[in-house]
Amino acid sequence: MIQGIFYARFFPQEGTKIVAQSPPGCIVPVYGVSKPCLFDFSVLQEYIIPRKAFCNRYMTVVDPEGKHAVLGFPVSIPSPRYDRNEFIFNFGLVVECGVVDQIPYERVVRRLAVTFAEMEKQNYYLSQDETRNYNCGSGGGGPRSRESYCRRPIESLLEIIKEDLNNYGECMIPVDDANTINMKLFPHHMTPPEVKGWHVPVAKMKFADVVDPTWDLTLQRVITHIDGVSDVRRIAFAADVSLELTQLALRHLLFYDTILLLDMFFFGACYAPRPGIHDFLANRGGVVDECANYVCVGTAPSASSGSGSGSGSSPGAGIGERGDGGLDMSGGLGNSSGGSGAGGHRVTNYMLIKLMTTFCVGKTVMEWLKGHMDAGFDVLRFVDVRRLVQFGVIKGYLYRMHKYVVSKQYLAALATGHSRPVAGGDPLQRYTDGCHTFDQIITEQNLTDAEIMDKLKTLNVPAGDLTVFYR
Amino acid sequence: MALPVLPSTSNFLAVALVINRSRDGPRFVFHYPPNVLPAHDSTGHNPSRGGDDADVDDDDDNNLLGRSSRHASLETPASSVPHAAELLQWNHDDHLVTESGTQIVPWEHVAGFPTKDLENILTPARAYHKKLFQVSLDPLVCVSYPVYVPENGVWRKKRKPQKQPDPTTPGRRDDDEPPAQTDTDGAPRNGDRKVSDVDQVDVRDMAPRPPAKTVEEAEDKKSSMTMFNLVFILNPKKHESKDLVDIMFTHIIKKINKAYKYCQQRSDFVWKESKKILALKDKAREDRKKMSVLWEEILSSSTLAASMQDLYAAVSRNRIAALQLHTVGGLVTHSVQIPVPFHLSDLPPDGGEGQRGLWLTTANTIVNDDVDEEPDYLDKNFALLLLADEKKIVTELQSDPDETTLAMVEFVRHCKATLSFHQVGQQSANVLTQAQVRKFAQHFIFWRRGIAIPPLHGRDMYIVSPNCDLRKLPEAGAKWARQFPLSPPLPNFLAELSMAPRPYKLHCPSKAHRPVYMTMLAWLMRGGWVTQLCTFAYVVVWPEIVYEVEYSLEAEDIARAKRESQERNRDKRASESSSSTLSSADVAALSDAPVDAILSGSGFLPLLDDMSDPSSSTATLRDLSLLHSPSLARVSQSQQFPPRAASDLDDSEFSPTSPNTIPSRHGPESPLSRTATPLLHDPSQPTPAEQAAEKARLERIADKAARELMDRATAHARKVIPEQTAHPSVNNARHLAGMSPHIILDAKKATGKESLYLSAIGHRLRESAATGGGSPAARRNSAVGNARGHHHHLHQPHHGPSIGRFDQADRDRIGRDKGGASDNMREWREWDERVANAWPMFWRYFNGRSALERIALQEDMKRKDAWNLLTAMSEYLLCIRHW
Repeated sequence: MIQGIFYARFFPQEGTKIVAQSPPGCIVPVYGVSKPCLFDFSVLQEYIIPRKAFCNRYMTVVDPEGKHAVLGFPVSIPSPRYDRNEFIFNFGLVVECGVVDQIPYERVVRRLAVTFAEMEKQNYYLSQDETRNYNCGSGGGGPRSRESYCRRPIESLLEIIKEDLNNYGECMIPVDDANTINMKLFPHHMTPPEVKGWHVPVAKMKFADVVDPTWDLTLQRVITHIDGVSDVRRIAFAADVSLELTQLALRHLLFYDTILLLDMFFFGACYAPRPGIHDFLANRGGVVDECANYVCVGTAPSASSGSGSGSGSSPGAGIGERGDGGLDMSGGLGNSSGGSGAGGHRVTNYMLIKLMTTFCVGKTVMEWLKGHMDAGFDVLRFVDVRRLVQFGVIKGYLYRMHKYVVSKQYLAALATGHSRPVAGGDPLQRYTDGCHTFDQIITEQNLTDAEIMDKLKTLNVPAGDLTVFYR
Repeated sequence: MALPVLPSTSNFLAVALVINRSRDGPRFVFHYPPNVLPAHDSTGHNPSRGGDDADVDDDDDNNLLGRSSRHASLETPASSVPHAAELLQWNHDDHLVTESGTQIVPWEHVAGFPTKDLENILTPARAYHKKLFQVSLDPLVCVSYPVYVPENGVWRKKRKPQKQPDPTTPGRRDDDEPPAQTDTDGAPRNGDRKVSDVDQVDVRDMAPRPPAKTVEEAEDKKSSMTMFNLVFILNPKKHESKDLVDIMFTHIIKKINKAYKYCQQRSDFVWKESKKILALKDKAREDRKKMSVLWEEILSSSTLAASMQDLYAAVSRNRIAALQLHTVGGLVTHSVQIPVPFHLSDLPPDGGEGQRGLWLTTANTIVNDDVDEEPDYLDKNFALLLLADEKKIVTELQSDPDETTLAMVEFVRHCKATLSFHQVGQQSANVLTQAQVRKFAQHFIFWRRGIAIPPLHGRDMYIVSPNCDLRKLPEAGAKWARQFPLSPPLPNFLAELSMAPRPYKLHCPSKAHRPVYMTMLAWLMRGGWVTQLCTFAYVVVWPEIVYEVEYSLEAEDIARAKRESQERNRDKRASESSSSTLSSADVAALSDAPVDAILSGSGFLPLLDDMSDPSSSTATLRDLSLLHSPSLARVSQSQQFPPRAASDLDDSEFSPTSPNTIPSRHGPESPLSRTATPLLHDPSQPTPAEQAAEKARLERIADKAARELMDRATAHARKVIPEQTAHPSVNNARHLAGMSPHIILDAKKATGKESLYLSAIGHRLRESAATGGGSPAARRNSAVGNARGHHHHLHQPHHGPSIGRFDQADRDRIGRDKGGASDNMREWREWDERVANAWPMFWRYFNGRSALERIALQEDMKRKDAWNLLTAMSEYLLCIRHW
């Protein structure tokens, strides 16, 4: 919330003055307003109209109480036209300190400064105003207004800006016949992490519903292939877009928080619980039911997509439905999901909890599956395992244990500084420093896990040099 | 605990000292590092680009008012503007001379601003005295904590002899509050005192001084430094700005300024040093000395400048800054740091690379709940893991000896990563008190010489931390090889740990290797390479138990409803014909019999009355059940000593109610119903017709209620009588088919039904043998079953691999223990008794947050014992394993 907005000017004789403010009396007292000022203007005035060296830049200062921040952009326009050859002004905002995210207001302040500076340069908008208001003031240095067209006083202009930004987050204000100020408060998004070839993007919304022909062409191509299963490399291939452009497009989606990045799902991968799994046991916010809707095989697709849209509307839900709606189990296991033998069966909450909590360090999904099968629960008939795992990963209940391979001699070489012991050697060697997961090797070398292991065996290194470990 | 935004050389540009003088105005005294280049915006500005179209974006806004004047206005006379090109090539070390002969001095430009302008803007008004002063000059942020001279214009304090500290060590290293506070005014050592208070204190301190001014004071006046301001110049990223300013201000800026203030007050330190530095600078300006030469000179001659250098060097790399100020009064040392968490409770998100390598644990080092001692109290069951070599720390301690050094050295020698503080305290009882152990441990942790961990143990499991920083693997591997030359290489060892988790001692080839392997484990912990894999448990209530509790609740409810209705009848009769209550009570007792029989037959625990079905219809009923306190007490009592049969229950119920003359079995209720009845009849004197109608109505209601009650009783009687099986987890009787097990999230805080479930399970544990105890053969069978049985559960699919992963050794041990006992019934009973007694004791660990591995230490039990007890309970536990 903007607490106050003001227009300050430096006058050659009177010094820094607040010419206009809104609400009245927020910066300097005015007659008839008993409300105290937001801060002591005399303390801060040297930061509102600072020394010349600090002009023409965005500048903020916090008042001594630490309650308000003054955001300003002091502008100095040098010109022989003015007294002392300079016109200095500042349009500033006062916002609460600590409560409000100041970042969106920076653009507003910059925009005000730039617009009014330009208007002053072009037709002396501000200095004219001054001559009109302070007719008896500085003896005719500024050019007088010849045409007395009617225009909005700055004070009311400021009030509209403040009100509109506070109420609507944007404003569009005609300043005079020729100029309009358009401003909007934009939230500040963090720079998204890089998208790698082995990430699997999962849509958080239905792109098919929001896409329109004005979207970037690459993006349009890419989003049709985001299905929660394909990795980035595969999407790039399927969409016939270069990997770099695909990554860029996905990063764009990531910036607006419309996709999630997961890992590739393999039945041979290990997943293990994280402390957050407590929430799953507690069924916080009905998350187990959400999970059941997402993972249970055989529930009618309509019901499942219905739940998907439901979860889309609730803020906590992170999973949107895939566009196709069909359930395709990856991994090619002969499962009965297609046949509706177990149609409509809903696994009990307890069983879901049981399934989720039995993932364990050092146990592959396959082993996990086998454990439950042996115990008499035919998991595949009731549950889409990939979706269960993804649900766990998305919600922070599970983490993927990645597989790494390291070569001790390569590590030793790295430690001593010879980072490339065998230049142009085996393409796999550069992955053996412990920083590259098998997922990366799989996508970048287009090999399967088993093929990599085979190739590693033929790698030209001493026996026992290579070690595979999980993290 | 998320990692805070920390200062680094990229976002912490410089530290600068600015002073203000009453006559001569502000002066920019010193800054470090010497070359602070103007911070570049993300977009290089390009004046030619400035368009004036309406939809200029942010960057264009930025460019429109290009900062062409930045360099142009270095010196005020316009003629002295140096060539931009010349400036660009300037090495910022030599002096430049413009065509007009103006000298450009390298140290008079900091971060692209002339110091002449900076010194003005960085000397704010007195309103900022001891407050946060924060000015952003896009993109820089200047943060400081200005300190003003007291209103009377005299810095120096009158010394209070009784509070005079030892001048050599006024601010010991371990003193985490700035010395300025320790002896200024004896006010509470609280960083956030109101400024006005301090001012008042300052003034009061001055007040008792004799009016005649001493020589010192005159000198003070003459010095005329009105304020000093140590400014921190930051260049944060937009979103981290606030956090960075906050963290720097609380931990560094405030404290360091207070330390300076202390020195200034005691010996006019800041002013004297400033004078020295300014003189050197002026002279160097004349001599056109190179900046690098001058800076060396200043740093070697002024400890104030040197302290600023230390400060910048340490803080920008997030180390502990140890300052040494040589004041006239003696050496003042002080240390500041930004405390960083040494552990994380969950994996950082993908982008959180800064948090890689931190130890991953949910273990809480600080005792905070249900302990009425002061907060920030280290858990006595944690151990201290020293982050550096023991010898190194000892030498470090001895290099700066004082009265506590000996004790601390002793502490370091006794501290082992395998011993809890409590144990350390016990072992070194003759040298160190428990309080000392904790204090030292806290001290070591605060100053980053150690971290608190759950004591390492060979039986615990350790896995490769998913948060370990693999980028450090090459160096770590080399270090590991140097430190443990005979052990397997680091990658191999990590691989071994990362396969299937098992107790650490199984990695150790022989007992003789144990100590080395424990050192290796400590090493791995230190580097955040491994973390303990802990077991967390919740109580699972199997359908059998749920059914049993529901069933007996219903039985109780129906029995009570019956009593109520009979009582009502009796009261009615009493009011109508004042007949004796005895007979109706007899009837009541009679009709209760079947229910009692059911109760006694199945041997159920008595249940709380107020737990009952809230559908008991009439208001009076509800009132009664609410006002049931005597029976409540009775039930809670009987929960602890559950009677074997309902007859016991009756007895126990009779005795407390004996003073009540009514020989009803429901003594406590009678007075109540008596008070309730007049209410029904009092309010008016209705006509006979009305009375008759009312009576008929009441009768109808009573009839209906009675019918409903009967229906319920029959429905209840038709239900399957609960049967206790040896293993409720695998009981798949038909009547339990639709029910799913219930999970109790926090057994200690369980209320209502959940507490009933818990006590029902407690009964099972106690009677797991006794129920079958009817026939010795069955007993023996179950005993044999138990011999395998208690871990028979372990193999059960329902328990899955979670608890099934108790290590083999444990299992064998249990097997042995049990095997010896299997033919001895008495021992069995004792064991069950122990399990049952431990059950409520262990509730507080069954909340999914307390690691079962730590129970033994917390309860001061033997590990084996604790594990055996847990194994015995395992059928009722759902286990999860993480860190």
